[in-house]
Parts: sequence; C-alpha cells; structure tokens
Amino acid sequence: MKKFWMIVLYIVLFGASLLWIYPYIWMFMSSFKPSAEIFTKFWPSHFTGEHYKFILSAAEAMQRPFVRALLNSIFISFTVTFAVVFSSAFIGYALSKINFRGQKALFNFIIFQMLFPGFMFIVPLYVLIRALGLVNTLSAIILPGLMSAWGIFMFAQSYKSVPNEYIEAAKMDGASDIWVILRLMIPLSRSTASIVGMFTFIGIWDNFMWPLIVISDYNKMPLSVLLASFNREYGIYVGPILAGSVIQTLPMVLIFLIFRKYFLQGISMSLK
Amino acid sequence: MKTLKRRENIKGWSISSVYLVYTAIFWGYPFVWLFILALSKWNFLTPRRFIWFNNFIKLFMDDDFWRVVINTFNFMLYFIPMVLILSMLFALALTKVKYFKTFFMLSFLVAYVSSGVAYSIIFSKLFAVNGPLNKLTYSLFGVTIPWFSQPQLAILSIAMMVTWKFIGYYGLILYSGLVAIPKALYEAAELDGATRWIKFWKITLPLLNPSLVMVLVLCISLTFGIFTEPFLITGGGPMKRTYTFQMMIYTNAFQKLNPGYASALAIVTALISFGCVILTRKLIEREVSYS
Repeated sequence: MKKFWMIVLYIVLFGASLLWIYPYIWMFMSSFKPSAEIFTKFWPSHFTGEHYKFILSAAEAMQRPFVRALLNSIFISFTVTFAVVFSSAFIGYALSKINFRGQKALFNFIIFQMLFPGFMFIVPLYVLIRALGLVNTLSAIILPGLMSAWGIFMFAQSYKSVPNEYIEAAKMDGASDIWVILRLMIPLSRSTASIVGMFTFIGIWDNFMWPLIVISDYNKMPLSVLLASFNREYGIYVGPILAGSVIQTLPMVLIFLIFRKYFLQGISMSLK
Repeated sequence: MKTLKRRENIKGWSISSVYLVYTAIFWGYPFVWLFILALSKWNFLTPRRFIWFNNFIKLFMDDDFWRVVINTFNFMLYFIPMVLILSMLFALALTKVKYFKTFFMLSFLVAYVSSGVAYSIIFSKLFAVNGPLNKLTYSLFGVTIPWFSQPQLAILSIAMMVTWKFIGYYGLILYSGLVAIPKALYEAAELDGATRWIKFWKITLPLLNPSLVMVLVLCISLTFGIFTEPFLITGGGPMKRTYTFQMMIYTNAFQKLNPGYASALAIVTALISFGCVILTRKLIEREVSYS
C-alpha cells in the first residue's frame, strides 16, 4: 500500500515538473517552427532557423537592432556583476574583519538601507540621472547598480565564519590586506561570491522598468526593453518574438544551471 | 598598541568611505529628493514649487488610487493562498521522495530564473484566445476562456503566472524549514499515538513558522512591486482591474510628467506595504523553540 502511494507521488511530481517546464519547451520548440504552425501543430512538419535569422539580420532594417541590444545587455550585466562582487568582497571585509570605530553603526546602516524597496527610488533617481546628463546612455543603467548593500551584507556574514587565526597567520607571513581578501577570503567564500554574482546578474539582465524609463534610443536598449517594444509594435511576428525570448532567457537559465549547487545552498542559507 | 588601533581605524574608514561616497550619491540624494518631490509640483521643466501636502490630499481623492488599492488586495486574495498551499505541498513532497530530488527542485526553480519580459510574452501567447491552452479547453469542454479580457480572470491569470514563477523558490525555503525540524519530535509523538494530522498541525506547522512568515513577507513585498506582467500583457486593463501601484507610479511620473505626485504615491505604497508586513508578523509570527 505504502509503495503504491509512493509511486503515485512520483507520477504527480513528474507530471507537475513537466507542466512547470512546459512554457519553456513550448517557447523553444515554437521558435524553430514555421510561422504557420506555431499555434496549430505541437510537432512541426520541419524545423527552421528562419526566425533567428530574421531577428539577427532583418530586424536591423526595421530599426530594431537585436544584436546590438544583446551586446548592450551582456556589457551592462557583466560590468555590474563584476563591480558588485568585487566591491562587496572588499567592503564586507572592512565590516567584518577590521576593527574600526563606527563599524557597528555602518553595519546597521547597511541593514537599514536594505529595508527600503527599490521602487521608492525610481523617480528621484531619474531626476539625478537627468541632472547628471546621463539619460539615454548605458551609464544610466550601470551606475546605480555598481554597489549593493545586500551584496556587502552577504559577504560580511560569510566572512564572519572565517576564523581570525587564518588572517593573523597570513599577516605573520607578511601578507597585505589586499592579498588576504583576494587569495584567502574570496576563495573561502566561493559560494557567497557565486550567490551574489548570480542574483546580481539575473537581476540586472532582467531589469525592465528602469531601462524602459532611462533609455529611448533603440541602439542603447538592453535586450529586455527592445524585445518588449518589438512585441508591442510588431506583434504579428510571433516567430521572431519567440526567438528573441529564447535569446533573452537562455543566459539566465544557463547561469542558473551552471551555479545550481550554489543556488540551492543560497536558499537554504536563508536570505533573511 | 595605540598606533595599531589607529591604523585599523584608518584602514576601515578608507575602505568604507568608498561605499559611503557612492551611497551618498546614488542612495542618499535620491532618498532626500523623494521627499522634496513628494511635497512639490513639477513637470521636469518649469521651476519646481512646494505645494506641501497637496499631492497626498489629491492622492486620497483619486479614484485611480483606490482602484489600485482594491486591485492589489484582490490579487493577494488569489495569489497568497495559491502560492502558499502549492509551495507547501511541493516542500512536503520533497521530504518524502528519495530519488530525482534535484531534478524536481531544478524543474520548479527554472521558472524562478525566467526573464520577466520573455515569460510575460510567452504566457500571453499561451493564454491567448487562439493559444494552446484555449485549444485544449475547447477540445475538452467546447469552451474558450477569456483569460485576459474578463476582469477577475485577468487578475487570476497574472496571479497564476507569478505563482508559476515563485513556487520553486518558496517551496525550497519551506523545504529547508521542514528539514530543520528534529526527527526525534515526530518519533516521540508517534510513541504517544499521534496521527499524521495531529503531527502536522501540532509539530510541523508551529515549527515551520519562521519559514512561513518569511515566505508571506516575500509574497507581500512582491505584490506591491509588480510591474512587468500587467504592463506588457494587459496594459492595466480590462477596466483598470490589473492596474498596479508600480504602473501608476510609472504613468504619473513619465507619461503625465508629474514626478511629485508619483513620489507621493511611492511613499504611500511603501507605507501600505510595510503596514501589511508588520500586520502579518504581528498576527502570525510566533517564537519557536525546538524543545
């Protein structure tokens, strides 16, 4: 009897898993179907790469430069991710391993910062970006994301579990603080670095509202905004839209699959 | 000794000052401006002037604002029970299975890393009048369902999409809470002849409280931040039933060119969201001890 229910549970879970992946399967399959068969056949008569060709070349002529947008997104996401991981690794070190007056106050300030939801800052941040003359530049997306209170907090928490003896031993051997951070602390907090990097990358890659506000020039748009605008204006081109969606989704899914171990760790660490 | 302390102080502050300068520009300055704007009338171009609390007074007399408040709670009414029950079931199922655990986790989590824009587009196609889902209902029951054009269905559809996205993530939070409950408690309860239901109600749920509260808080914060899905799929319609706080902020600031009003709205939105979180904590949060 127990065995019977176990089998039922597995069947239900497999069914649910398939149902949950189905939108991905449908998107991926449909992006290779001939236009006429996207909504009519589950298994097309033949597979075609025409939608990808269209998006990577013909869309250029429609003033919707997808390749450019893809490169913009890659550039923005890598710059921000690298800056956040690097700056958080250093500042987190100061907050957890250097005893200076005001350290506690600073740590509390960072927690205080994390209390405020991002949407509160959108309008005044736009005013700032406008005052700096950065509207319609990639800097408008990159600059507000360079450092993150959450990232610093995560690194500081993870450094706290590194015994001070390690650092003292390294310093006895004449290591500088920078060496300690780069060769000791970061390698020991590899999982934290991966979690911070991954969430930052996904967050910035997928950011939609902010770039929608600050970028109106098609050549400077990240992929998310360009895809949305293409979908609004050329809704009939379902195939190319799906191909674009695949390109927009792929990096996020790949990064998730590569770092899945750390992702599962990060959640069980409880992101309080 | 004293010099060492001074050196530490200098080192600590020099690293931290980089952050403080950055924060002053990209967090402090907007923070102050949020309140200045909320008390002003301005259209980005002509000189700004203070109108003090007029933005707030206007806001509370604005039908759109109350519409959005109702929409938000309407959404939560669908979303929170749905996502809680399903992610709870997912977490419980994970504790029962031995094989394929990682596969199940990953297949539910992959929804969590879907791109907001791409998944909004995909779901709008899947739920479209002639989309695969309606083809299925038509072949089974001979009806098509107007997923995005009937007001309550539109809210439900978006709630279902967001549920699809977050179940894996919330389920894992609950799962790590379940795993942390000591086995000895269950064994002791079994010796006293407790049934499954009693064990679930008396042990599992009370001890899972911290994880449950965390998921609830995440759900509430998320609800107040929804923008991409309604913006791309329904445009806030039908009859403004899927109009959200974020869309209203966006529309007022960047389409009606009224950043003051939008800032006042952002402050009120944050306050309502905090209020809901605090209320939830007061009502549901319990001290947990494993003894």
